[in-house]
Amino acid sequence: MSILLEATGLSKRYGEQKAVDAVTFTLDAYTSTALIGPNGAGKTTTLSMLAGLVTQTEGSIAFEGSSDRESRSHIGFLPQYPKFFPWLTAIEFTEMAAKISGMSAREARAESQKTLEFVGLGDALNKRTGTFSGGMKQRLGLAQAIVHKPKLLLLDEPVSALDPVGRRQIMNLLKELQQQTTILYSTHILNDAEEMTDQLLFMQHGKLIDQGSLDDFRQRYAEPKIRIEFEGTDELLRFVQTAPWQVEATGSIGWIDLSVENSSMQDVLALLSTGRYGVRKVERQSASLEEIFMKVVQ
Amino acid sequence: MKGFGVLLQKEWREQIRNFKLLWIPLVFIIFGILEPVTNHFLPEIMKSVGNMPEGVEFPWPEFAPKDILVSLMGQYQSIGLLIIVLAFIGAISSERKSGTATLLYVRPLSYSSYFLSKWTMINALVLFSVWVGFLAGWYYTSQLFGSIPATDVVAFLAAYSLWIIFAVSIVLALSAWLPTGGVAALGLFLTMIMAILDSVIGAYWTVTPWKLSTYASYILMGSMDYPTFWKTAGLTVFLIILLILFGTYMAGRNAAKTTV
Repeated sequence: MSILLEATGLSKRYGEQKAVDAVTFTLDAYTSTALIGPNGAGKTTTLSMLAGLVTQTEGSIAFEGSSDRESRSHIGFLPQYPKFFPWLTAIEFTEMAAKISGMSAREARAESQKTLEFVGLGDALNKRTGTFSGGMKQRLGLAQAIVHKPKLLLLDEPVSALDPVGRRQIMNLLKELQQQTTILYSTHILNDAEEMTDQLLFMQHGKLIDQGSLDDFRQRYAEPKIRIEFEGTDELLRFVQTAPWQVEATGSIGWIDLSVENSSMQDVLALLSTGRYGVRKVERQSASLEEIFMKVVQ
Repeated sequence: MKGFGVLLQKEWREQIRNFKLLWIPLVFIIFGILEPVTNHFLPEIMKSVGNMPEGVEFPWPEFAPKDILVSLMGQYQSIGLLIIVLAFIGAISSERKSGTATLLYVRPLSYSSYFLSKWTMINALVLFSVWVGFLAGWYYTSQLFGSIPATDVVAFLAAYSLWIIFAVSIVLALSAWLPTGGVAALGLFLTMIMAILDSVIGAYWTVTPWKLSTYASYILMGSMDYPTFWKTAGLTVFLIILLILFGTYMAGRNAAKTTV
């Protein structure tokens, strides 16, 4: 996979305060990366630097190996709360965005219409943006960010300001876009990040404190617990009485914490495979992204 | 100049849809009409509403037609400029503060296009307003006081237009540099300082853009010393270019201050 963007030692200082401190990472083409961190972690500043809105105090950004300002025509950016000129219509705004990014007038018109329909604003092409609801603004924000077919899409908290229905709709659109472009998005809604990510970047106090794929993190932060679902409570009771481990029981489900037992998953499976217990399901409990996040930032 | 045409179109739409293209010329036209009309009918008005003792005669000055246009320019210099400043004080700073500029700044546009598109559209609108205002004033002056040769009026308006372009350039450059409140404060401060300077050393300090409106009236009256005027015009053009360069630079430098 080719590297689309390389950020090296990226720092941003405001006076004495370092908003972003020596952040280094790469984005592979056609991948989706979640930038995760608590409020004030430096996510927006990082995205603003990548979008060319804020100049870094130190470090470099190479887009397809070049640090040219012209590379911006290949980047689409959606701020957390996109603001539009209220007297422009949706199609006028997206057309303007497309033209400034280098599209011809005819191409801009056609792409604007197509993009607005894609984001679900086909009925509001000629409505002024000043009359739009929050959800419509977010869709329009997404439309203006993708209308010029960018190679990299930067999204700052794309769904955090939306209600659950709007959030789901935008997430579905983003999942469709995943096949066509590279996406870097910041979020603190971890369920959403779990759905759509190849790489995770954890930021805290302006620093990149950890990075890797979701699977990497799941392995590294896997819960050492085994969950066994029995056919009934009698089966569970028999297991509790005969197994050499301490079993935490709830209904017909038993938990074994391997971190306090001197055994492995294989030992448990060996006992269960004797056929003495009616077992429905055995699984190793994996850590949720929220649990991983809490562990990483602590 | 990448994106200049697109941004100019955006500015045009803004002026139309915010009705500035309607109300600003209208205000200037109203002043243009009121000046000759009130000056012509003022003695009558005073007679009918004034509570003057019987037998008292108040000698009203006899206005020449050109005096009316100069007097109208006086109105534009105070109320007209105030309208221009209030209408365009936030042309750049407000876009930055509201965050509407963000989605422009993240694109590969040149800041010279951004600044010049505003500069061009605002100047076009303001000059159009000033010209139609003066044309309305000229028409009523011709009807009520007597005619003024068209060439004199055009020369007068050309000189005054240079002052207007200079004033718009200052407002826009300040808007690119400072927040809206700062523009207002500094604009007010500059106006006061320049007024004081002009009253103290104005007789010796002849080559300055702040003299352009006075020189425009001299041109109308036919008493202009042209070498001084051309020096002043040259200096003003030079300062306008400097203001454009400064405004462009500040628009780019302050892009990071836009609300994200």
